[in-house]
Amino acid sequence: MSPAKSAAAFIALTLCLGSASAPAVAAPTSYPLTLDNCGVQVTFDKAPERAVALGQNSAEILLMLGLGDRLVGTAFWPTKVLPELQDVYDKVKLLSVETPSLESVLAENPDFVAAQLPILMGPDSKVAKREDFDRLDIGNYLSPGICATTLDTKDAYGSRATLWNMDYVYQEIDELAQIFDVADRGQALIAQFKAREAALRERLGTDSQDLSFVFWFSSPSPADDAYLGGKNGASGFIADLLGGHNAIDTEAEWPTVSWEGIMAANPDVIVVASVDRNRWDLDRAETKIEFLRTDPAVSQLDAVKNNHIVVMQGAAMNPTIRTIYGAEEVGDQLENLGLAK
Amino acid sequence: MSPQPARFAEQAGLGLFLVIAAIVLLFAIAAGTGIGEMSIPLQSTFAAVTNRLGWTSFELPPIQESVIWDYRLSRALVAACCGAGLAMSGAVLQALLRNALAEPYVLGISAGASTGAVGIIILGIGAGTLTLSAGAFVGAFAAFAFVALLSNGARGGPSKTILAGVAASQLFNALTSYVVTTSGNAQQARDVMFWLLGSFGGVRWPEFYLVLSVVLVGLVICLYFSRALDAFAFGDDAAASLGIPVGTVRIVLFAITALITATIVSMVGSIGFVGLVVPHAARFIVGPNHARLLPTCVVTGGIFMVLADIVSRVILPQQILPIGVVTALVGVPAFSIILYRSRSAV
Amino acid sequence: MTIEADNISWSIGKTQILDRVSLAATPGEVLGLLGPNGSGKSSLLRILAGLRKPHSGTVTLDGTELAHLKRSAIARRVALVEQHASTEANVRVADVVKLGRIPHRLPLSGWTRADEFATSSALERVGMTARRAQYWQSLSGGERQRVHIARALAQTPTEMLLDEPTNHLDIQHQIELLRLVANLKLTSIIAMHDLNHAAMFCHRLVVLDNGLVVATGTPEAVLTEALLREVFRVEARLEPSPYHGKPHIHFLP
Repeated sequence: MSPAKSAAAFIALTLCLGSASAPAVAAPTSYPLTLDNCGVQVTFDKAPERAVALGQNSAEILLMLGLGDRLVGTAFWPTKVLPELQDVYDKVKLLSVETPSLESVLAENPDFVAAQLPILMGPDSKVAKREDFDRLDIGNYLSPGICATTLDTKDAYGSRATLWNMDYVYQEIDELAQIFDVADRGQALIAQFKAREAALRERLGTDSQDLSFVFWFSSPSPADDAYLGGKNGASGFIADLLGGHNAIDTEAEWPTVSWEGIMAANPDVIVVASVDRNRWDLDRAETKIEFLRTDPAVSQLDAVKNNHIVVMQGAAMNPTIRTIYGAEEVGDQLENLGLAK
Repeated sequence: MSPQPARFAEQAGLGLFLVIAAIVLLFAIAAGTGIGEMSIPLQSTFAAVTNRLGWTSFELPPIQESVIWDYRLSRALVAACCGAGLAMSGAVLQALLRNALAEPYVLGISAGASTGAVGIIILGIGAGTLTLSAGAFVGAFAAFAFVALLSNGARGGPSKTILAGVAASQLFNALTSYVVTTSGNAQQARDVMFWLLGSFGGVRWPEFYLVLSVVLVGLVICLYFSRALDAFAFGDDAAASLGIPVGTVRIVLFAITALITATIVSMVGSIGFVGLVVPHAARFIVGPNHARLLPTCVVTGGIFMVLADIVSRVILPQQILPIGVVTALVGVPAFSIILYRSRSAV
Repeated sequence: MTIEADNISWSIGKTQILDRVSLAATPGEVLGLLGPNGSGKSSLLRILAGLRKPHSGTVTLDGTELAHLKRSAIARRVALVEQHASTEANVRVADVVKLGRIPHRLPLSGWTRADEFATSSALERVGMTARRAQYWQSLSGGERQRVHIARALAQTPTEMLLDEPTNHLDIQHQIELLRLVANLKLTSIIAMHDLNHAAMFCHRLVVLDNGLVVATGTPEAVLTEALLREVFRVEARLEPSPYHGKPHIHFLP
């Protein structure tokens, strides 16, 4: 089954289950709503009506919560939007694919801004500070996944010491849903993702094989060291979800490893990312596969000889909702390859 | 006897020139406040400023008033101060190092700032209590201290100082790469490089007060030493024989330029060409005497930077062109013209 | 008004440059400092100007040790004209001469009439008044030296130290410059290579060899065939010139 179909199936299943058996999943939001967001108390007097999303993940979450009609602008899209959201996405104004300017954000007369990364909103941002919005009574919200790591690991952006998981994403979905007074949709979405997680673990995760994975994001050229997904990042999470582990041991989130190192790790499965930014030749999955198959040394890897190569959207390697989609992509291909139990 | 080419501003003319230049600077700042992506009518721009100054209380959309006052005006003022500071530092370094190609980053400041920045972002030094700017400032000053030490307190002479600066740049850039490669992730690396790439987007009023103070103090000190700077034209010994305490003057002026540059880099990143080209342009207008050159650099640098920032904001729709690109695109031809004209003047 | 060096020793690293050098200039005299390359003449001049600290010995100005004087106080008395002081800066003749007023100017003072007078008379004395607005970069070597001397004069010094001032000048300018300095009525110490010029223009000579003073006195007393042979390693014959009465050296090819 294709990932999109799996998703659709699960949405349908969960909503049915949810409406049939569960009690009221979430009460309507009572305003004023106060949340602790990255060490700042943010208060909302009513559900926003003109929201701007700075950052692909924040935008996709809002679109998945069915809030497209309340979104007046988005910015910062490193990859293409989820296919199932394409229609709604087209209806929302795109401020910039890269970082936007503050004026372009304010020109939309927003009453709420959701930001995914500190470079988009924060004290070190060249775009906006929270105060810029506070002084105009524009509600602002920063993705909890980003600032949580500062407090936990004393590490400003999180070289992760422990395995990432979807909890922060769920927290973000929940909080955004509350802010917009669609808490029930938020709970449903979370339940849906959780179900998908569970299904993956059930399908593949109980495998005693404990496959080792290498997640190859991209490289400037075949001879250069490769950018891989790290042990504790989203890639590691995907590996864990599928009952395996990341073959790369270092804790850096995006280690650069030479092909010699990759061969030494001798992974069972090589996941090649399909990155749609077009900066390097090797961004494309086909190019990566060709390299794997034709390089004299690398083609001798067991994984390559046995054709244990799977393709995954590059976006999944960032700790976002896309991670689940990526895990499902990989899971399907593993089944087709007969690697699942 | 060759003809005497008239320089634009001799003694009496300098005052007039500076007044005119200051007026041009004010116009540039006004332009920076009135021009931007959001189209705000001119009356509203005026009204916003007078409102916030407390002189009037016109009805204005709060977003427009905020954009004008909290964002555009503060940004234009910071740009003016940064242009002034970088130009003045460039002039001082060109005199101290007796090198027409000297500019503010020659002491390894920008490389040091990058190391400080990655220390904060990637290594988490300061555990969230230090801002990125603070870290960059510390790194910048560490690089300067390193240069001062290596070049023997700047008593080693201009060549030694320049070489020490090269060494510092290499060292700190290598440190930055090391940290990024071993501990960081691609997003962080990208964030740091992006942050260092010169931009006025992140400045508001607090930054203005800081950079204004630093540049004013720097200007006063450099003006105090303007004769010493003139004396350096023929070398350290010539300056000493004229009664200049060379060692003291060098270290004070190096420290001041380092302070100004470190403040600016840690606030807005690296912006090139201003510190290199503006002093030459200023010399072309008012001559090499530093009592005249330094104030000229200050206003000219300010005008240049404000105008460059306006261009960077409006030239591409929906996007901001990195200001380093604008200064280079303008700086290089301007420099070529100056070189060409000054050849035929002699 | 005398400048005196007493037992100056100075070394760079392990190399001894000057070894217990003493000399004393009397007011208004032109003292020639001679010696082969590497004998320490430039270093001695720099120590006399207070630019370098000797490792032992003292330099006194009218009895006061240089080490006890402020740098600007020294600069008001002693002016140094270097060998190749050059600049890339696009300065004019007047700008260079005005530098000589720096030791006299107070931090916040403007340009005074005294400053203007000193500058103009300095330019007058070297014959560059008409060229005061000319750019430095367009001057010839001789003209640049004259401007340097004008700058030194603008310091209104009582002692002037010149380090091989005629090195890269043509013969006309060499003679003109030495004549100019000799007529200044300042105490001048000139390091030079041309022995005949030294004989013509200097009241007294000091000869250095390997950092040691090997002869001091009038040209007649100092310049002997033996000295020329041992210190300068040339064969020559000497006789008083029938034209100006000073010793004249005939070098043997």
